[in-house]
Amino acid sequence: MIELSHVSKQFGDDTAVEDITLRVAKGKFCALVGTSGCGKSTTLRMINRLIEHSSGDIILDGQAIEQYDPVKLRRRIGYVIQSTGLFPHWNVARNIGLVPRLLKWPATEITARVEELMGVLGLPVGEFAHKYPHQLSGGQAQRVGVARALAADPDILLMDEPFGALDPITREKLQDELAKLQARLHKTIVFVTHDMDEALKLADHLVVMRDGRIVQQGTPLALLQRPADPFVESLLGGLERGLKQAALTRVKDHMTSLGPTLPAQSRIPADFSLRQALSMMLRDHCDRLTVVDQGDVPIGELSLRRIVKEAQLDKVSQRDA
Amino acid sequence: MTRNSATVSLPNAPSIQWFLPLIWIALLAMCIVGMPLLEGLFRWVEPDARQVVYDRAAFYELLGRHVLVVSVAAVVTIAVGVAAGIAVTRERGRDFLPLVGQLASLGQTFPPVAVLALAVPVLGFGTLPIIVALMLYGLLPIVRNTLAGINDVDATIKEAAQAMGMTSWQVLRHVELPLAAPVILAGVRTSVTINIATAALGATVGASNLGDPIIAGIVNGNMAYVLQGALLIALLALSADSAFNVYQQRLRQRLSAS
Amino acid sequence: MSLIDALPSPSFKRRPWHPNVVLLCLSGAMLAAAWLLSFVSVAPNRIVSGTAFGMVDAISWPGAALVSLLFIAMAALSSVPTSRHYRAMLGIIILILLLMPFGLMVAGHWLVDPSLPQARLGIGAAYWTVLFVLLLCLVELRLRLGLSRWWPTLLLAGVGIAWWGCAALWLDRLALVQEFQAREGQFYQAVGQHIALVGTAVGVSVVLGMLLAMLMRRYQRLQKIAFTLLNFLQTIPSLALFGLLLAPLAWLAANVPPLAALGVSGIGNAPALIALIAYSLLPMVRNTYIALEEVSAETLQAAKAMGMRTGQRFWQVRFPLALPVLLEGVRITAVQAIGLTAVAALIGAGGLGTFIFQGLGQAAMDMVLLGALPILILALIVDAGLGALADALRPGGQE
Repeated sequence: MIELSHVSKQFGDDTAVEDITLRVAKGKFCALVGTSGCGKSTTLRMINRLIEHSSGDIILDGQAIEQYDPVKLRRRIGYVIQSTGLFPHWNVARNIGLVPRLLKWPATEITARVEELMGVLGLPVGEFAHKYPHQLSGGQAQRVGVARALAADPDILLMDEPFGALDPITREKLQDELAKLQARLHKTIVFVTHDMDEALKLADHLVVMRDGRIVQQGTPLALLQRPADPFVESLLGGLERGLKQAALTRVKDHMTSLGPTLPAQSRIPADFSLRQALSMMLRDHCDRLTVVDQGDVPIGELSLRRIVKEAQLDKVSQRDA
Repeated sequence: MTRNSATVSLPNAPSIQWFLPLIWIALLAMCIVGMPLLEGLFRWVEPDARQVVYDRAAFYELLGRHVLVVSVAAVVTIAVGVAAGIAVTRERGRDFLPLVGQLASLGQTFPPVAVLALAVPVLGFGTLPIIVALMLYGLLPIVRNTLAGINDVDATIKEAAQAMGMTSWQVLRHVELPLAAPVILAGVRTSVTINIATAALGATVGASNLGDPIIAGIVNGNMAYVLQGALLIALLALSADSAFNVYQQRLRQRLSAS
Repeated sequence: MSLIDALPSPSFKRRPWHPNVVLLCLSGAMLAAAWLLSFVSVAPNRIVSGTAFGMVDAISWPGAALVSLLFIAMAALSSVPTSRHYRAMLGIIILILLLMPFGLMVAGHWLVDPSLPQARLGIGAAYWTVLFVLLLCLVELRLRLGLSRWWPTLLLAGVGIAWWGCAALWLDRLALVQEFQAREGQFYQAVGQHIALVGTAVGVSVVLGMLLAMLMRRYQRLQKIAFTLLNFLQTIPSLALFGLLLAPLAWLAANVPPLAALGVSGIGNAPALIALIAYSLLPMVRNTYIALEEVSAETLQAAKAMGMRTGQRFWQVRFPLALPVLLEGVRITAVQAIGLTAVAALIGAGGLGTFIFQGLGQAAMDMVLLGALPILILALIVDAGLGALADALRPGGQE
């Protein structure tokens, strides 16, 4: 668990981060979002003491971080950055085995762990173990970066715009894989990005920062439904907010049981998003879809009228709450 | 004699193989042993001279002293220069970095002859002033290249190393020094080749080495002596330079390992 | 894996006091040098090595106290570094520099026996050390105060003129001054020769170097051959190259009378110039080539896309962008040539090196200084001047 309370950081006379209070529960994925220079990276780097904070408390697993030895602390926190930071003079296997070697694991264990991680991250050992960073594509290098961060099985993972330099297709693929990995490993992750879609897609907890301060934090849905100010709203995509919210909602949460009427022509799997469903309706010129399970067996129905009505209900119930 | 400013990469000649330094060394050895056999050739250059092959000291002895002086200076300069370069790039020594950086580039403007000439009044004649002058002059390329090499290491790589939990010693030992090594080596190469040349000037301040035949030849107007000294120094410089070149390319290859 | 393993650790440490360690050390070094090293030496004539005297002997207790006080004041100012204190230190440094010839005057007055006309005062190690460290202080202050190159250069020029005046008027007991007075005409001639040799060699190699670099851009094969050859040339020690050129030129002069009539001979200017140009070509060609190649391809492509013709692209885009790096090449070449020309004195080319080697030959160290100091100053002036020019020509000002 990571807790920051009233944390500030001054560089000389400049205040980079001011009065940040933030709590990331164990196993949760927290995304820090904001424009460049808003202090999100500084916040991240204060957690593994690459930057020492000026005031306030940062508490990891119940202990103030000043109590930890910085070197030992960092060996127990994974760290991934945009430029990968892989050592150009070491091959992939050696790069991944870095932290276990620093922790003096036995050689056989290190080899086993490296091979395991390469498997997890889709890097065939035979093909990649002996390659050097400059021989990798951007996506491959970043997979190695993630593997290196996970090598000693840390509880906490800090990621600083890890997919920022990748092309959209590779980025999306790696995002999906990270989401799957997180579903399995349940690390406590703090993830810095300026890409709101990425944050909405991955995070359990979203923190919007501006000029060194937190503007708003909460679950992605909460933020989408009630942005605190025009800045957060514009960051969330302004008018497209409705669609982004739809993207976070599953079809199965809005479907009704199969009615007496004829089933609709178009079919959509139950775990697709509402956004995809809306897109399909537009494409197929219809206002109803048949929801199917993984075996393509119809299990329910989705209607446009119902989606719109439920969205209204959401709003009303929020106003009452 | 300022050579390759090492931070600039050049469109290089095709990679030179290991046999090139061996050829130079073999030629050097042949010349040392066989110089008297070339008497006919030198006689042709200087038909009127009484003596055409320098014989005030054996060539191997001159070569030995030359190499000794340059090596002593090189060992000291490498140790001191690299240590200084490392010290001022550490957290604690960082205050001295701008000054040392400026000094290293300013020092390049000091002509070696002037440094040598200024060392004599302080240290007197003989081998000592030449060693000291070589150390002073050879120090600067090494310091400069150590600084450049370490500063050029990508900051994000250093940060990543730190973030993985490497101690500052480990970052230096496993990241900064290996990545800076080719640049540092280029500085050592510049330093040593300059010093081989400058050491010859030691003959003018009473240090006996391969500069002796040249100076003696110029003073007595005996071109044969000059040729012998010049030939041997050139061969020594080429041997050292090509050996460094091979080592440097090995290092580069290992780093980029393609 | 638990975080508890990382416990415990040393607590936070913050330094409350931030002195300028560099200037503090330098001030201490000067204080130590002034007390521990020899201040001046006195010799009865130019060949005998002198007797060394410490600071107290040379300028008595009040003088020593004044000197110590100035250094201690510098140390005190550097322990609380503010820009006002830095400026005050700059003032103290100038004051010390201006006081230095007066120290020599006082020492000369007390220590040199006026009945010996040949007796002379030598400058001691303490003086040289303090001078050198003061220059380091100036460099550090220039960096801290963010001054341009010009300021310290102007200050030093002022100090230099003051020294020159003192030397000409009152310091006739100083060995260096005596050496100078003994061969004033020769000295100016040597400076002239030195500058002429360097100027010719650098001028020729700038033209040749640029031509070669342009040709190399056109013919890739030439590029490899030329760089290999020039690198090879640079490896041959200057003394050896000067020596090696003696023989063929002497042979040419003896066998081709028209060349001899042009002044070519085995000894003197011709081999010196050839060797100087050969050495100057590599830095010149390399920097010109790199300067022209380094201009960003995108900028050139943009120029092309805007419809600039080949010539326009070269003269309006590539060349101006390359100019600072090109000038950097001229700077390296010129500084290197100044040093090499000193060696050329060995083969009779004249110049300031003559004094160095004559002085070494006669064991007259002051004469060596008379040659070495101007060479050093010349190199520094050329370095600073061409460096400033490159800065001024860099679009958008200094880096």
